Amino acid sequence: MALVRVTDLTYRYPQTAVPALQNVTFSVEPGEFVAVIGANDAGKSTLCYALTGYVPHFFHGQMDGSVQLAGLETRERPLPELVTLAGLVFQNPTTQMSGVRDTVRGEVGFGLENLGVPRAEMHTRIVEALAMTGTTELAERHPRELSGGQQQRVALAAMLAMRPQLLVLDEPTAQLDPVGSRELFAALQRLSRTGLTLVLATHKLEWAAAYADRLLLLHEGRLVQQGPPQALLTQPQLADWGIAPLPFTEAARQARDEGLWDAERPLPITLADAIVGFLEMRDTSKHF
Amino acid sequence: MTLYLSTNGPLHRLHPLTKLTWLLAVLAAALLGPSGWLPLGLFLVAWLLAAWGGVGRVWLGRNGRILLPLILMLFVIHGFFNPNGQTPLLTLWRLTLTQEGVAYAFLLSSRLATIVGAALLLLLTTHPGDLLTALTERGLPPALAYIISSTLYILPQMQSKATAILQAQQARGLETEGSLWRRARALLPLLAPLVLGALVDSEERAIALESRGFRVRGPKSSLVELPDSPGQRWLRAGLLLGILLLIGWRVWRLFA
Amino acid sequence: MNFKDRLQQDFSTMTLVLIPVAIVLNIVVGQIASTLSLPIFLDSIGTVLIALLAGPWVGALTGLLTNLIWGLISDPITAAFAPVAMVIGLVAGLLARAGLFRQWWQAILSGAIIAIALSFVAVPIRVYMFGGVTGSGADFVTAYLLAVGRDLFSSVIITVISSNLLDKVVTAVLAWAIVKALSKRFVARFPRATAVVGN
Repeated sequence: MALVRVTDLTYRYPQTAVPALQNVTFSVEPGEFVAVIGANDAGKSTLCYALTGYVPHFFHGQMDGSVQLAGLETRERPLPELVTLAGLVFQNPTTQMSGVRDTVRGEVGFGLENLGVPRAEMHTRIVEALAMTGTTELAERHPRELSGGQQQRVALAAMLAMRPQLLVLDEPTAQLDPVGSRELFAALQRLSRTGLTLVLATHKLEWAAAYADRLLLLHEGRLVQQGPPQALLTQPQLADWGIAPLPFTEAARQARDEGLWDAERPLPITLADAIVGFLEMRDTSKHF
Repeated sequence: MTLYLSTNGPLHRLHPLTKLTWLLAVLAAALLGPSGWLPLGLFLVAWLLAAWGGVGRVWLGRNGRILLPLILMLFVIHGFFNPNGQTPLLTLWRLTLTQEGVAYAFLLSSRLATIVGAALLLLLTTHPGDLLTALTERGLPPALAYIISSTLYILPQMQSKATAILQAQQARGLETEGSLWRRARALLPLLAPLVLGALVDSEERAIALESRGFRVRGPKSSLVELPDSPGQRWLRAGLLLGILLLIGWRVWRLFA
Repeated sequence: MNFKDRLQQDFSTMTLVLIPVAIVLNIVVGQIASTLSLPIFLDSIGTVLIALLAGPWVGALTGLLTNLIWGLISDPITAAFAPVAMVIGLVAGLLARAGLFRQWWQAILSGAIIAIALSFVAVPIRVYMFGGVTGSGADFVTAYLLAVGRDLFSSVIITVISSNLLDKVVTAVLAWAIVKALSKRFVARFPRATAVVGN
């Protein structure tokens, strides 16, 4: 059974005329890693809020259609019940720190305290969540004094410790430097391997291509495409939906048009594939 | 940030509620108990306890800074100007120091010193987080604990932001000195970025709070374990009994 | 809507995260005012602001906690005046609800009413706990009034109102101006704010 089932979802924020999401339908299977891509204002954040219940419970507004999370209709369940099923990590690292605990250990434990998890189990879960996100050495530091990347991984750990069935991430690397981004994606990859279901909204196509099982492409509030990264990211009309194609995919496409790239060979969506492809092209082509 | 000193003395190791109950008992004794030398005696006890707890010097310094100006003004105002003053002690120029005024100033000073001294004993040796944990375990609404902890967390952030804005505005030629009108006009460009900036984040912080299950109903647990002992439980019970007896005594005196 | 539901709506999660911000504003803006050596305190601007947005109960709690926390971080004496701070928030919220915070001149009037209302609580505390003394420059005013033959209570009333009147008027006008400057989307989060900004 699908963990998430979104059916004909249309949503409008209060006091706005244009819907942020229109007739969106898709589902997510348990254990899947789905990336949501699209231009700014395509509706990625709104979709993340809808999957976790903040739309409509926190933002109010007009919601039509249905979002089911683990078989529950989100509109009909209270938000506190939904947050135990689906965790949310978002862009700004500092606002995600609760601001009420003065160590990373306490910060990760805060959610567990609210759930009433017994102390002994809390300790186990904290250790596990810190290890999974590579933040074990930060355990006794003050959350305020961490870098953005470190805070973001602590926010991730805080969600993991609550053991959600679904983890939704809205542009989690948007405010991070390259090192911070790489470390966060590494943690996401580890999590995906443990079987956790992940939905990641991002504009970093190369990461989405490398890690996600499936991509959803949003454009002006509508779900215009979905499918495996390979099929979706090599389409020539990507730019029509406000997305700049990956430069090495574009390079390979031009090479193919010039007859340099083997037409049988799929266009590359990762830098590694592109390098291998161009190296083999050199070996088989008389042009070089 | 707070008055808490992160040393580790014997008072630090006491359960926060033990120290809080002590403060309440002192408060009751100072306000309801017999006046005279009792408050001053309790002040000296607090001093001894502070010294034993390894915070004696800070305790004394803080007390001095808070109390001295108050006590000085109390003696000046009441010693010379108390309308009930009748018995002159000495006369300076046209001002007369009266016995009633001095007695009243002494009463209020010793009362204030007792309360401030006991409060400082608690505040210097108790981590605010531990105090809140202890109170939440005894039924303080988690929302109140959240508000207090969160304030202590964002206060230094805002203070450094205010300093940064102040310096940036000064660098752009804003006058923060000079005539009153000039200084007053400097206020708005300082205030606007500070206030609006502080409000902007609140939606995200509310979502973050919800996402941690803050609104989940049912019993909450606590990561920190606060060591307690039977001796301390007996002490707290005894102090509470003492407070009740004091209140009872006062009420009885009121009618007798 | 009954009182319990109303309170639950008043203390939404948004309000809960805003209360610490309001408390910190009280403290930090108060510090700025004293850095600029202004003749006013401005240390209740956050309380009045949140009272306009979220109503009298939230305002009262914010005032109360401001002084308790002030007591926690620097001076336990401040905690004794927590009831005064509470009245400021309560009265500001009630005035807003009564529609007395819609125009700038109403804000001035409301500021004056707040200054008078707070003296009902501040004066007894000052007189009975502190003998009318604050340990600040205002004490000389009290001393003078006593010397010219006034009794302690009325001397303190005059001192309290005269030192608070301008402060509360400026605070009320600033808080009103801030609420007016906030985005519609933000203000829409606070149903009580319609009493200030209209629909």
